[in-house]
Amino acid sequence: MTAKRMIALVAAVALLGLGLAAVNGWAISLGDVLKVGGVALLVSQYDDQIDSFITSALGEREAAAKGATKVVPILSLGGGGYVGAAQVVGSPENVSRVKAVVQVEGRFGSGRAQVLVPTTVDKAAGTPDRAKGVGVSAVIEFRI
Amino acid sequence: MRRRLKVPIVMALGLLVALAAAAAFSSAEVSFRSAERDGARVAEVLIGERPVIVVRTSAAGYTPLERAEIVANRLRTAMASEIQAEDVKAGSVPSGQGLYIRDQLVVAVYQPEAEAHGATPAALAGLWRDNILLALGYEVPEEPAPPAAEPAPQEGAEESPQEGVEAAPGAEEVPAGGAAEEAAAAAEIEAEPEEVDWTGTAQKWVPIFSLELEGARVGMAQVAGPTDQIAQVKGVYQLRLDFKSIGRVYAYVPVSTISTKLNRVQGVSVWALADIKVLGF
Repeated sequence: MTAKRMIALVAAVALLGLGLAAVNGWAISLGDVLKVGGVALLVSQYDDQIDSFITSALGEREAAAKGATKVVPILSLGGGGYVGAAQVVGSPENVSRVKAVVQVEGRFGSGRAQVLVPTTVDKAAGTPDRAKGVGVSAVIEFRI
Repeated sequence: MRRRLKVPIVMALGLLVALAAAAAFSSAEVSFRSAERDGARVAEVLIGERPVIVVRTSAAGYTPLERAEIVANRLRTAMASEIQAEDVKAGSVPSGQGLYIRDQLVVAVYQPEAEAHGATPAALAGLWRDNILLALGYEVPEEPAPPAAEPAPQEGAEESPQEGVEAAPGAEEVPAGGAAEEAAAAAEIEAEPEEVDWTGTAQKWVPIFSLELEGARVGMAQVAGPTDQIAQVKGVYQLRLDFKSIGRVYAYVPVSTISTKLNRVQGVSVWALADIKVLGF
């Protein structure tokens, strides 16, 4: 009985979500939802490990950046979701303020262009607030 | 269809020309690298392919490689304008010797470093000056015979001057006292920046070099940082690394030379990327 109620509840919430999406004209898919949620989970789970991995991999090649580093999620401007992660580098006080990197991407034929803006907010709404004195040293794509 | 193909082909050709120009431009540049000499890890500063300064010891918390990077940056700054032979000279710094280009200190030579080379600070500074002059295409000036404690570079010494770098061993050294070493370290700290400046706002577009399994891509990266550092950046290397089975990491390393060695320019980071696929595998 309890299991049946749980299934019914989950189904109701899912239907309600899909209904709201349809009413608002959101172009979402189950794949997008899983990907955005999965990326957020992976970033929160592995941020320190990825940061150490990149730093040590570059250190082995004597190419590590001198400065504070941190791994934060990449937000797609327009898409509004997490699409990957980035390692940012800079002075410690500036890096500590970075919450995300906003990505603006365009494609042209077989080419592509990406602008990566470290920001102090974790929402991709409006104009991104660029974090001064911080840049991107690595981009991480997750296999989801 | 033809028109659709033309645009990427023209762009790819343009990028290739830019890459070739960047590679040619950087051929006689200053670089630094880690190397092994006499079974010990040292750091070398090179002009073109020629090692001109070998750093063997740490100082003021900087490893030999970090010191070599600082020296290389100073050399690059000095070489931004034409150098005359008389501009390169050895002089004194507090508790040691220094090698100057014009009035800019390039490297300080303290007792521990000189001892590691089996020379005196003055002899080592003189040898490094000669190496730089030779690398720049000048004749080494003949000087009066140095005093016994300051040997001049000699043919057939343990490490020949042609290869670069070391003074002849055998000079009689005066051990440095603790106070002198402390003063040397303090002077080094004063002479070299303790922290990398990441707050500059100069920007420029440079080529990206990368090779992926799916094909070769050439591209451009916009790098940003302090003006001096940005001036040194010749390109960005993209390294692809696999993090467990979870993700793929693309690390971007701004470099001062186009070579197989990653000579990272510190204080510079990537702001934007653009690339185009030129070859599919």
